[in-house]
Amino acid sequence: MPRTTQDGESPPSGEAVSVRALWTAIAWAFVVASAVLVAVVLPAEYGVDPLGTGRAFGLTALSAPALAPIPPPEGDALAPVPMGAVALYPGEYKFDSREIVLGPYEYMEFKYHLAKDATMLFSWTAGGDVVHDFHGDPEGAPPDAAQSFDTAARRRAAGSFVAPFTGIHGWYWENPGGETITIRLNTAGFYTSAHQFRYDGTRQRREIRALDTITADH
Amino acid sequence: MRQVLIIAVLAMVAPGSASTFAHDEFRIIGTVARHQNSTLQVKNREGKTISVRLDKQTVITRDKKKIPPAELKTGLSVVVDAYGDTEDDSLAIEIRVVPPIGAR
Repeated sequence: MPRTTQDGESPPSGEAVSVRALWTAIAWAFVVASAVLVAVVLPAEYGVDPLGTGRAFGLTALSAPALAPIPPPEGDALAPVPMGAVALYPGEYKFDSREIVLGPYEYMEFKYHLAKDATMLFSWTAGGDVVHDFHGDPEGAPPDAAQSFDTAARRRAAGSFVAPFTGIHGWYWENPGGETITIRLNTAGFYTSAHQFRYDGTRQRREIRALDTITADH
Repeated sequence: MRQVLIIAVLAMVAPGSASTFAHDEFRIIGTVARHQNSTLQVKNREGKTISVRLDKQTVITRDKKKIPPAELKTGLSVVVDAYGDTEDDSLAIEIRVVPPIGAR
């Protein structure tokens, strides 16, 4: 016999109501999660865009890893200690010299790990037209946090650079044409490692040279 | 009830799990070896044949003008910018038909 209150109404069935509410909530959670997954997460994170919402809202750009993750530094960072017009470092500077060959339509990034305020001198020349972006990737930041310093069209550049933040700094070069070109790069600076990223997705740490590899003239 | 809770948790976790996949950007440079439906096979300059998927958002151009996928004929030189987990499991973002590229 059902229980009744003093005014004759049946009390609400608490268990039956909560199960129905739970089912409803689960169904809605599933629908919403699925919609978010297909419309937002897959385009933004995985580049899968079945509904076209990723392109429509620019989400697919988030999934495109234009820049490779920043590798860890090698050895202690060479951070400068300013003393007036002089900056002293806890170690000697390094140097590097190399030829980079870019086949038709190939691209490459070549970067050095520098501590904030560390200095690098550079000089490069290209044997043909190149797309160029001198930029840096802050350490510990997401790949899209890269900052460009110079993207002007040029076949050669020489200068000095003071890193505005700790991270890897260097050049993106792309061969926009059908002829192979060679880039000659010379650098010296208070960097601790060098990294090469090629168009085919390969990444390599490259050797840099210490000062004691130079034979002194007498 | 336990099954219901598991399903609910999976539904809520599913979107986040997609982010565990890593993907890289690749450029594939070579000639069209085969084009069928939404798959393009490109023979690169080292002689390796790489398959990439195409979707409706893949942009295909020649001389900076869009062309339909049907114009991707065998033997054409192409530059494919794609991304995916590996070079052999990638989705083409942009395909440029370029003048013939010689082998290495």
